[in-house]
Amino acid sequence: MKLIDPHIHCVSRTTDDYQFMARCGVVAVSEPAFWAGFDRSSADSFADYFRQLTDVEPRRAARYGIDHYSWLCINAKEAENISLSREVIKLIPPMLDHPRVLGIGEIGLNKNTRNEITIFQEQVDLAARHDQLILIHTPHLEDKHKGTRIITDILKSDRRIKPHRVLIDHCEEHTIRMAKEAGFWCGLTVYPVTKVTPQRAADILESFGPDRICVNSASDWGESHPSMLVDTLLAYRGRGHTEREETEVFFNNPCRFFGQCPKWKLAPLDMKIDSDSENADGR
Amino acid sequence: MLTAKDTLEATHLEMRWRALSLAADLDRIERAGGADLLRTDASMVKLRKALAVLLEGGGNRAEQVQMIFSDMTPREK
Repeated sequence: MKLIDPHIHCVSRTTDDYQFMARCGVVAVSEPAFWAGFDRSSADSFADYFRQLTDVEPRRAARYGIDHYSWLCINAKEAENISLSREVIKLIPPMLDHPRVLGIGEIGLNKNTRNEITIFQEQVDLAARHDQLILIHTPHLEDKHKGTRIITDILKSDRRIKPHRVLIDHCEEHTIRMAKEAGFWCGLTVYPVTKVTPQRAADILESFGPDRICVNSASDWGESHPSMLVDTLLAYRGRGHTEREETEVFFNNPCRFFGQCPKWKLAPLDMKIDSDSENADGR
Repeated sequence: MLTAKDTLEATHLEMRWRALSLAADLDRIERAGGADLLRTDASMVKLRKALAVLLEGGGNRAEQVQMIFSDMTPREK
């Protein structure tokens, strides 16, 4: 079965992980710009990072048959430094025509501070002016509910922003409703620790319906793993969902969201209706 | 789809394991001299509230527990 990991930080992963993903059936990934685990000292560091995202990783992924796309931004954590953020934002517009860049992301909030909100709004404006898709990072742990509320309020108050062109990522049980009911796409990030587990992700898919939900591993330099994507698929399959339902969630949904950018090449798969009547044991 | 009985059978050993892990975590804190902390620390107060949600029932326990652990202060002006 073909899979897409819609959010993974390949710059932090080894080639073993690319090989693992290829063995699992992952045929495409998208990589948002994020915090490297330390604060960078200048905009030049970001210029190199953006080159790594747009040129180096697509070549590395292609060796394993994986189509690699990326997103550009200054992440929420380093957005606390407003002057650095504005220098980094200036680097982005000339790169938006790059064939591997899908949009602006992952922008959002980390600790819900005034500075983070200022830079978030400036990057939303950047995306609106250049008609770009947006990938949103929501805060973790106790800051998530408040941060998601602030983010969705800002997006809803900007008439230029079309909710179906925005994916609110790292949604959990208490935030997915506010994102989904407002018409945004939603991301579920599945981690071995601290975030959503494969079983909880399957619960959320069943409780809220699979439409406009993408599942990702968000694998990075911390405790995380690309296997979380396929572990979630297995948890979903274990509930008796059909291959068609699995394909909708783990391949077609990312294709539908990313496909709003003409640079994305994969099309949703048209599964035969009769596969609906088959469960995991009948395939 | 799995029945309720199937689901319980598939998960009860893991639920038991999680309950034992939590019990051992609390014992470890107490052994390190943290009996007072277990009663008074803000994180433990929230944990006790969360455990009460698990026992009280309702169809959205996970969401209720998430809200207990969420910062509900208003946005900074």
